[in-house]
Amino acid sequence: MAETTVDIIETEEGQSPKNIQRFLTFVSDNITFGVSTDYVIEIISSYMICTLPMVPDYIKGIINLRGQTIPIIDIRLRMGKMPQDYTDATCIIILEIKDISVGIVVDSVTQVLDIDLDRISPIPTQNQQELTSSMISREDGSVILFLDCEELISQ
Amino acid sequence: MDASMEGLLETYLFETNSLLDGLDELLINAEKIGDFSEDDVNEIFRSMHTIKGSSAMLEFNFLMEIAHHIEDLFFYIRENGIDSLDQAHKSELFNLMFKSTDKLRSEIEKVENNEPLETNIDSFVAEINGLLDKISGKVSDSPEDKAPEKASAGTESVPLNPDDAPHYIHVFFEDGCGMENLRAFMIVNALQERELEFIYYPNDIDSNPDSAEKIIEQGFYLGFRTADAREQAVRAIDQAQNIRSYETGERVEEPAEPEPEQQPASPAETAPAAANTAAAAPKAKSEAPAAKKKEAAPHGAVKQDLISVNLSKLDALMALVGEIVITESMVTSSPDLQGLSLDNFNKSARQLRKLTDDLQDISMSLRMVSVSGVFQKMNRIVRDMKQNLNRDVRLTIIGENTEVDKTIVDGIGDPLMHIVRNAIDHGIEENVEDRIAAGKDPQGEVILSATHTGSEVIISVSDDGRGMDTDAILAKAARNGILTKPESDYSQKEILMLLMTPGFSTNTEVTEYSGRGVGLDVVKKNVEAIGGVVSITSELGKGSCTTLKIPLTLAIADGMEISVGKSIFTVPISNIRQSFKSTESEIILDPAGHEMIRCMDAFYPIVRAHELYNIPDACTKIDDGILMWVEASDKSYCLFVDKLIGEHQVVVKPLPPYLQQFHIKDSGISGCTILGDGNISIILDIAHVYEAARGIF
Repeated sequence: MAETTVDIIETEEGQSPKNIQRFLTFVSDNITFGVSTDYVIEIISSYMICTLPMVPDYIKGIINLRGQTIPIIDIRLRMGKMPQDYTDATCIIILEIKDISVGIVVDSVTQVLDIDLDRISPIPTQNQQELTSSMISREDGSVILFLDCEELISQ
Repeated sequence: MDASMEGLLETYLFETNSLLDGLDELLINAEKIGDFSEDDVNEIFRSMHTIKGSSAMLEFNFLMEIAHHIEDLFFYIRENGIDSLDQAHKSELFNLMFKSTDKLRSEIEKVENNEPLETNIDSFVAEINGLLDKISGKVSDSPEDKAPEKASAGTESVPLNPDDAPHYIHVFFEDGCGMENLRAFMIVNALQERELEFIYYPNDIDSNPDSAEKIIEQGFYLGFRTADAREQAVRAIDQAQNIRSYETGERVEEPAEPEPEQQPASPAETAPAAANTAAAAPKAKSEAPAAKKKEAAPHGAVKQDLISVNLSKLDALMALVGEIVITESMVTSSPDLQGLSLDNFNKSARQLRKLTDDLQDISMSLRMVSVSGVFQKMNRIVRDMKQNLNRDVRLTIIGENTEVDKTIVDGIGDPLMHIVRNAIDHGIEENVEDRIAAGKDPQGEVILSATHTGSEVIISVSDDGRGMDTDAILAKAARNGILTKPESDYSQKEILMLLMTPGFSTNTEVTEYSGRGVGLDVVKKNVEAIGGVVSITSELGKGSCTTLKIPLTLAIADGMEISVGKSIFTVPISNIRQSFKSTESEIILDPAGHEMIRCMDAFYPIVRAHELYNIPDACTKIDDGILMWVEASDKSYCLFVDKLIGEHQVVVKPLPPYLQQFHIKDSGISGCTILGDGNISIILDIAHVYEAARGIF
């Protein structure tokens, strides 16, 4: 009995460095964000947003993605930042969160990173932004904030 | 329960439910005439037989027992003729049959909901047997247990007579499939449904469980008189489940005797051969008028080639077809083709367009079902209420073959039931004397009708009862405190609309059928949920009429595309009365500064779409844009837009669920549609647009 317990602990420890998840990083208002690739369906850069009346300003409208209509959220506006004109680099990341598809407008997409979940730390409360609750600082000194996807769709 | 069993159960539920529906309809019709025809008796017998067999196969003993005893009862009636019953027994029989179908239905519901079935059947069986005893007691010369006795005598008296049936099929079931006797019985049932003449061995499969052993060892024999009948049977057997193999063959015998004797169609029906010959002649005679009657009543039990399809598959098909239609126009009107002259391409594109249009029409029609099912249910309600409230009412059904979308048919069942109940409970006079005094037919009439008008179906329930007392309604509404303006300001139409306000019920007493005060407002809500409108008209002393206006389908709509600034909206054509140009000088302002315009001698408010939705770069001068006079339920107004783009058939798509939290429906948006160029157009909900506009005034 005692032996098996030890075994389990060992395997758990053995697995811990592999506790790695892939994150897609993107930039919005000069801040780098990360979103787990589990949520990401695709990234699109050409789109026609159909605006909807009488919705909060951060809901930019809906787009037609191969016959599916998907609501679009501007991350800048959602976080209460100033709006910025969309450029060629602006793109939409389509996320599927708990069976709900949404697209988020971001300034640009950077890369996909493998991140060790154990190294993620919570953001000090006084600096906490809406929609982000944790962060990681990388070797080169840059910081990635993690987007809380479920928070994004809950109201 | 494994997958195959589940499929079997689904088939069973579907089949049994449709049999019960058919039975209900039959009983209602028969009760109207006050008699069962020979066809009816046979039909009930057959239905019960099928229910018995399939219930037994799935081991729903309760259902099987009830069906079995009713079958016995009708076996007796069939043998002795319905005329051997006197009127009192007949009405008792009707009541018992209604009760039985209800009982069966409630048990089926339990099966559907996976609840345990009732096990105590004795009292119910006793009731059925009691009636059987009474009936058979009446015909003094036959002993009480004549029916079962005869039944068993019948089955045993059928020998596998190779002279009669030289063409045989020898069926083997899969090893270990279980309940071979019942499976064989299912085959027998299937063949009987095809009205084939045959004999089978072992012939005690429905009563003797040991016959399963025999079938396992020796197989199951079916004998037919002609090779033709055998071929038909083979087709039926091909469809049956759990059959390992079968072989067909022919006994080499002398040709069948020329005697025109009818081979018994079912073992239970089988009387001794001699009696059968004698019976054949009168039977043939009685069948002729029966056939004639069937032609006279086209909505009777007409066999159709139907398959049942899961609705979600149809929805998926609809969505796909919608995509194809859109993609087709994306391809054929692609900007890349501009300025090119492509004769062959254009020719093929036209062909493609025609095909996709046909495809769309067909897939739309798949979802259309007639309202007769829902209407027939009303018959039952009227019958029950007639009995319990002791009012003489007849229900007249008009246009039951009108077809509407399946979702809508499902949606109108409950509202219609409420309305019909209301019509009888509140509408028709309680005392026949009152009716006679008013110079009306002593029998009240409720007319249920359905008609098509372009893109809508209109269902109306009218009664010739006492009508609605608008003063009483107003007084009641005042008592309940639901008036929003002085009593004198209410028009006749508005007073009747009060009936549909939550918590309003004019009947002070609560009855089983109506008067809980949850009537018409629920009706209104349910009908609005499927995009319909309820209106009531009434004349005191002459009766009232409740009308439901419902779109034919929810999935597709004729829409007018309009533009406001850079946005494109779609307005359902059914809401548009007129579009016209106007000038600034024709606009009238009310004291609060709201714009109004005169159309056809009445004034209507103007709703400016660009103001409502804050759309930049839109026309602001009335002269530049266009006014669209729209109407939805009780609201009528003019919508000011920039331009009309054109009329299209659009596939309605719901808005993404994420947006529901922003109460997008309240801002007058009912859905969206994808245009030919891939862009999205928002479909306006005219009634809600007005509400939203009132909000910002």
